[in-house]
Amino acid sequence: MSFKIENIGYKYSADTPQILKNINMEIKEAEVTAIVGPSGCGKSTLVSILSGVIPVLMNKGELTGSFQTGDDLVISVVSQTPENQLFGYGVEDALAFGVENMGLSNQEIHERVEYVLDLLHIQHLRKRAVSTLSGGQRQAVCIASVLAMRPDMVIMDEPVSSLDPQGKQLIQSVLNQLRASGQTTVIVDNNLDWFSDIVDHVVGLDGGEVVFDGNRDEFFAQFEVQQRLGVIIPQEVEIYRELSKKVSGLSSFSSLDGAYEVLHDRVKQTETAAALEKMENHSEEVLKVTHLSKNFQDGFQALKNINAGFSKGKIISILGQNGSGKTTLVKHLNGLYQPTEGEVTYQGAGTAGKSVAEISRDVILVFQHPEHMLFEENVYRELTFCARAQGVPFSEEEALAVLEKYDLLADKDELPVNLSMGKKHLLTILSVLFSSAEVIILDEPTLGMDLHLRNHLEGIIRHLKEKGKTVILISHEIPLVFKLSDELLVLDHASMLKEGSAQQLAGDEALFEKIHIDLPPVVQLSKKLGIKPLACNVEDFTDAIAEQVKIGGADRG
Amino acid sequence: MGDFLQYVELNSFLHRLDPRTKFVFFIIMSVLTSFVKSGVALLFLFLVFLAIWLIGHIGKYMLVLLNKVKVLLLFIFLLWLVLGAFTINEGPTIYRAAFSVIGNHYVFSLDWFDFYKGAVYALRIFLMISAFYTVILTTNFSQIILGLQSWRVPYAVAFGVGLVFQIIPMIVQEFATIMEAQKSRGLEVDKCSAFAKMKNYVIVSLPLLFRVLSKGHSISLSMHYYKLNFKVKRTSYQMIRATYSDALFASVTIIATVVTIFLQINYYIQI
Repeated sequence: MSFKIENIGYKYSADTPQILKNINMEIKEAEVTAIVGPSGCGKSTLVSILSGVIPVLMNKGELTGSFQTGDDLVISVVSQTPENQLFGYGVEDALAFGVENMGLSNQEIHERVEYVLDLLHIQHLRKRAVSTLSGGQRQAVCIASVLAMRPDMVIMDEPVSSLDPQGKQLIQSVLNQLRASGQTTVIVDNNLDWFSDIVDHVVGLDGGEVVFDGNRDEFFAQFEVQQRLGVIIPQEVEIYRELSKKVSGLSSFSSLDGAYEVLHDRVKQTETAAALEKMENHSEEVLKVTHLSKNFQDGFQALKNINAGFSKGKIISILGQNGSGKTTLVKHLNGLYQPTEGEVTYQGAGTAGKSVAEISRDVILVFQHPEHMLFEENVYRELTFCARAQGVPFSEEEALAVLEKYDLLADKDELPVNLSMGKKHLLTILSVLFSSAEVIILDEPTLGMDLHLRNHLEGIIRHLKEKGKTVILISHEIPLVFKLSDELLVLDHASMLKEGSAQQLAGDEALFEKIHIDLPPVVQLSKKLGIKPLACNVEDFTDAIAEQVKIGGADRG
Repeated sequence: MGDFLQYVELNSFLHRLDPRTKFVFFIIMSVLTSFVKSGVALLFLFLVFLAIWLIGHIGKYMLVLLNKVKVLLLFIFLLWLVLGAFTINEGPTIYRAAFSVIGNHYVFSLDWFDFYKGAVYALRIFLMISAFYTVILTTNFSQIILGLQSWRVPYAVAFGVGLVFQIIPMIVQEFATIMEAQKSRGLEVDKCSAFAKMKNYVIVSLPLLFRVLSKGHSISLSMHYYKLNFKVKRTSYQMIRATYSDALFASVTIIATVVTIFLQINYYIQI
């Protein structure tokens, strides 16, 4: 069945602003609909209305318009944190929880549990404890648990935001199964990159209003709307968008094969001047780990004989699947963990014996979840926390200027935990600008960020690099990693596989196959087109292509 | 810290028991340790517990528990030792002296019996805690809910109890992560005075509170998504059944209880 949303408006109380204004849309049966829009556009409120949280659980607001609801209608939600959603110790317990609540017979419950285990190909997980599952497996079980209730519609709220590439692949395959089975699905996520192949219909919200309603290809063709909504689009679409500004008469494409078809005739397999300009320059290693190994008390070996150096003024990304040892390694760099063997040196001196707070004056780690860090009473104090904790002088003007630059000035006196997830994360990262640390480690810094905030993040990382600081990045956003990084350090099963420049490692397909990470589309396309050295970001790629087209045009001329 | 206060997944005799059998064990042992004050009886009970832990392969986890509660046990031991030192007991004396404070006369008499008394009270407390912990280590929260439901405990109560045991490990983990995050951004909790350390721990409690509230909010939303309604009769996927092993364990519990009571009656020294 299709779902019609007619003239929906909502505000949380009589004296607060209107969050949703006259929303009209249709969610068609058996389609995958994406709801996109910047932070604060009303996506979460709309999900609350669709799922019945408003008005069943939250009944103080003013809701107008209509949306078909009823006791017989089952609309289930998969949240971004399955650990808060799964009730039950074992996978089977968690899968059965919703169906048990429906009061079905024991036989019917068994049939439904078997059905979802088969549908999503997760039979092998049935006897596992939920706590032992990987992030992707946990999310797959969460999806299965809501499907067991045979919902008329499933809504997924940023379902892969905290998953590694393997976890994302698992959820992509689960979504493909759902689509094939005719399940009506809504995905609320401003990152269209990971599910662009699956989505049929896109609805864009901004300022509480629908500003786009059309199919996927129509959305990909509307660059201004994408930018306005802060949607992260597949890199292939970004390549077309940027290239069409430089090369006239370009046919549109939104896939790797499509891009190759359009471009291969225009490109000769030569080394381009623009790319060759990028010469490697070596600088001093500010932080170094030597023969680093870590065994935990339960006998688990988290790191095996790691030798690596982190150069001054470089952006270095650590790549690997969850469990490869990335976080364990960076927790050694800032002293949270002590090595079983080997040592960590900062500017030639060992860090052993120093407290974490002492090391933070040189090496600072920003955690993945901003809620673990925020505790000051307002945004201004949170921004300047590191400076005050480390005794670094700063001026109020300086702090206010930073808040203004990153669109946080209006929130200056706000309680930090009340900000959107993306803004909270941005704030914790901004606070290191006022720290004395020369090495800044960012663990999954893009969590909860839309395109606008992500652009700010890129600006901050580049700013830190310009100031000569070393930035160590852990991120599952592989296109971003290749775009920003000077060097990559690849970990797999607690061992370091390789270290080198992004361009050097991009050429090593076997390495990325081994760690089950896909190279970004721009690198794959560069390879197919024979561009040398390989372009690791869209700008370099479009420069290379534009130069070749110019040369080709001049040759013909 | 990882395995503290939570179920440990093993396939032991204890783990396979019907949760109700373990609940009965917990109730009987709690009552027993509340009134038994005979050192011999408590020592016997401790040996029974030890055998159960070894058979259940949870010995090392009980050592972790002992390590966590050692300060409490030491405090109880010293408390009874000090209180006993101001009472004159029969039996061998280690040190005895009379003194007066503001005209009042006191006798300080440290006897071997004071050590016995301290040890008995510490052992009682440890057995009480470990009876509970034995059940927690070997019964996951889904089984706890099933067991309580089969005893006609309202589902809202059973679910609440199970939820507590689901959430405790999460909160413990959250606290550890918040501590790490705050230290990483410059909050000194290692090299500072006890007062500063305490103040900084209070600071850390704020993000923990926000995280717990946020988790509570997410859980209540999830209960809505899964259409959980305590007024509606729900059915069950898993079934629990008592087996021969349960009968055996129940017999051991009863025999141990009888022997303990016998030892209490015959070997009790007034304390």
